[in-house]
Amino acid sequence: MKKKTIGKSTILFLLAAVLVGILIVLKESVICTASEQNDHVIDSLSDLNGKRIGVQTGTSFDASVREKMPEAHLEYYNGKADLLAALIGKKIDAFIVDEAVAQILMRESKYVVYLPEYLDSYDFAPIFPKTRDGEQLRDQFNAFLEHLPEETLEELSVKWFSENEADKTMPDISRLEAKKGVLKLATESGYAPFEYMRDGKVVGYDIELAAMFCEYSGYGLDIIDMNFDGILPAIQTSKCDFALAGISITPERAESVLFSKPNFSGGTVAMILKENAEYNDSFWDSISESFNKTFIRENRWQLFQKGILTTLLITIFAVLFGTALGFVVFMSCRNGNPVANIVTQFFMWLIQGMPMVVLLMILFYVIFGSIAINGVLVAIIGFTLTFGASVFGLLKTGVGAVGIGQYEGAYALGYSERQTFYKIILPQAMPFVLPAYKGEIVSLIKSTSIVGYIAVQDLTKIGDIVRGRTYEAFFPLIAITVIYFALETLVGFGVGRISVNINPKRRKESEILKGIKH
Amino acid sequence: MIRIEHLKKSYQDVTPLKDVSVEIHDGDVISVIGPSGTGKSTLLRCINQLEKPTEGRIWLDDMEITDPKTDINKVRQKMGMVFQSFNLFDHKTVIENVMLAPVDFLGKSRQQAYDRGMELLKKVGLSEKALNYPDQLSGGQKQRVAIARALAMDPDVILLDEPTSALDPTMVGEVQSAIRDLAQTGKTMLIVTHEMHFAKSICNRVFFMDEGKIYEDGSPEQIFDNPKGENTRRFIHRLKVLELDINSRDYNFLSVVGEISAYCSRNQIAPKMAKHITLMFEEVMRILVSGMNDLSINTVCEYSEQSEVAELAFSYNGPRFDITSTEDDLGLSILKGLTEKISYEWLESSEYPNLIKLTIGR
Repeated sequence: MKKKTIGKSTILFLLAAVLVGILIVLKESVICTASEQNDHVIDSLSDLNGKRIGVQTGTSFDASVREKMPEAHLEYYNGKADLLAALIGKKIDAFIVDEAVAQILMRESKYVVYLPEYLDSYDFAPIFPKTRDGEQLRDQFNAFLEHLPEETLEELSVKWFSENEADKTMPDISRLEAKKGVLKLATESGYAPFEYMRDGKVVGYDIELAAMFCEYSGYGLDIIDMNFDGILPAIQTSKCDFALAGISITPERAESVLFSKPNFSGGTVAMILKENAEYNDSFWDSISESFNKTFIRENRWQLFQKGILTTLLITIFAVLFGTALGFVVFMSCRNGNPVANIVTQFFMWLIQGMPMVVLLMILFYVIFGSIAINGVLVAIIGFTLTFGASVFGLLKTGVGAVGIGQYEGAYALGYSERQTFYKIILPQAMPFVLPAYKGEIVSLIKSTSIVGYIAVQDLTKIGDIVRGRTYEAFFPLIAITVIYFALETLVGFGVGRISVNINPKRRKESEILKGIKH
Repeated sequence: MIRIEHLKKSYQDVTPLKDVSVEIHDGDVISVIGPSGTGKSTLLRCINQLEKPTEGRIWLDDMEITDPKTDINKVRQKMGMVFQSFNLFDHKTVIENVMLAPVDFLGKSRQQAYDRGMELLKKVGLSEKALNYPDQLSGGQKQRVAIARALAMDPDVILLDEPTSALDPTMVGEVQSAIRDLAQTGKTMLIVTHEMHFAKSICNRVFFMDEGKIYEDGSPEQIFDNPKGENTRRFIHRLKVLELDINSRDYNFLSVVGEISAYCSRNQIAPKMAKHITLMFEEVMRILVSGMNDLSINTVCEYSEQSEVAELAFSYNGPRFDITSTEDDLGLSILKGLTEKISYEWLESSEYPNLIKLTIGR
């Protein structure tokens, strides 16, 4: 046993070394490519025609690029941190953001600058479901906007678009009096200054406006932070009452949801590399800077802590319920009951064949669409189903590996079918099942990383949120990878202990002859 | 003790047991012998319901085993079974294999089951292996443990299904002696086996099974030394039989000779012996064909694997025609040179009244 532990910690150490190595290589490569001399100077939007332009998936910026720069090659990225990294790494020549964000990006990264020329102008507006309730709420919001003095909106934008983070105070939304109920606000917290995560709370221009509206109309406010891609479905299915997430008004979107009057007007700009930027940061400085931004600033480690807990919560419950489910289903199929077998086969086919994201989306937006249900609960249900399917398969293989002679030997001694299964067959199947079971748990932990789609803030989603806030492309990713590794090792170790304990051949003599004098 | 009435077991494409009715008495030690595929194992497995009979009824004392209302698990607790493939529980030690069922079903304490288990293991010579796992034992040792496991339940009857068939020849002896000891205790036993000498030495009753039934049921002396049925005789003496009917003078000589040599090579008859059989057949046929007009002959060749002796019998129609007194001196002298014994019989009322028998020894 002792030897084994030493082996494990050695492996862990090596692992950490490899990861740090990857980190160094990634960082260095980014900086190296960035430091090459820029050949073509880009001064205006027209210079970008024919170049590679990045846009964020889910935004409407790609349409304006196509219209204004028909020769440009569009590339889609998932977040602003990715766009920034791609630009610095010269994977793209420019990317499109709105001006307010561009200002922040310029402050955060000294390598980029934006062209002052507007590519397009746009209007942001909250969206509402196309239902009678949604329409009513939309009308209330319009009334609120009309009633709002011009200066208030002006003050709001001055405050949130300023450089001084300390000035950006936020009203306490938990103090709102929910006279007419609580409204669910869908948003994506990766879009400073409109909505972003600070000290574990979603804040920003849009959020404060939403809070003002609720106060004005007598609602409470519940903020649901999710992936940008998930916002439209959440509104369409009335999972959320309204959404404020820097959503620009387009005719296409207006077909599926209702827009209120715009609450913000601005222009989109192209972000490009600064000419002759100096790359003179030492490696360790940049690492410690990244660490500071990712974990220390605004107490972001608390976010990670929450994310880890959520990931563990989903994993542990899915493992427990999934194991129980798989076992129950296996038991009901074991004796060849045709109905149980056909039903099981169908669901196995359905669940195992479907991409996990789709299964979760269907559960969240369709099956539980009309019920107020926590995303974590839906995630647990979804992963319980897939994990149950795996456990079913494992049991089938494991039990199938035990020979028919073991059954006959037990029956001939007078054991009933049930007794035979639990006393003779299952204990022999377990050593076959457990190694694969451990593998399934590890892959379950990893596959929970997609729950961000149904508004759950697990570890990966926290990584995205932090990236959206810090515009650090790699450090948060590597940080969550290390955390995932740690979690997997922990779980693997636990299951390893179980498999040692339940292996009947590892028993000591004193256990075998318990209570016997010989 | 066990009564079987019109037992039938059929699968989709075969019917190994057609109709078995028999009574087994207390203290019977029965060897079940017979060619493979004649339902010996199926009979045993039907008795403890590992196979569900298609038809028929079985009683153990006054309890009908085949009655769906009977708790078959209770019945099985009174019937020990020893399998060809041992079927020890691989995840339990030897002593646990022996203790398991007595603790679960006989209400024994672990200590009692352990003491009894060790006693039984000592009897089969394996008390030192008590804490080993089955995969650490040889085949012979496994089978002896299996016997001890069956005995630990103190069953009314023990069924042994080819207990030595899966063993290396070197290990057959140790298992057989364990079974022999068991047979001497007077426990009722049914043992399916291919080892004739062993069967003869331990049992007081033999079932010869063939054609889906108990073809002959008798004492070992009767079955082994003086079998009544033709199939029994052939099986006991391990006879290989070839039967040919020839109904015309112009029969296809080459194809018949081909059949004989195929029969010889199939049964691994020594080449010299095979040559003699063919030669003898040729000579006899030549004499018969020349001496008779309307020809109808039935030829039976029997070869005993046990004694390596072949016997050719020719029975044919027509008037009395003894080839031993024919004028064909040359043919006759060839025949006499090849055979150990040649005989002629006249069976007045038979369809083929003439019968010639020739014996070829080593």
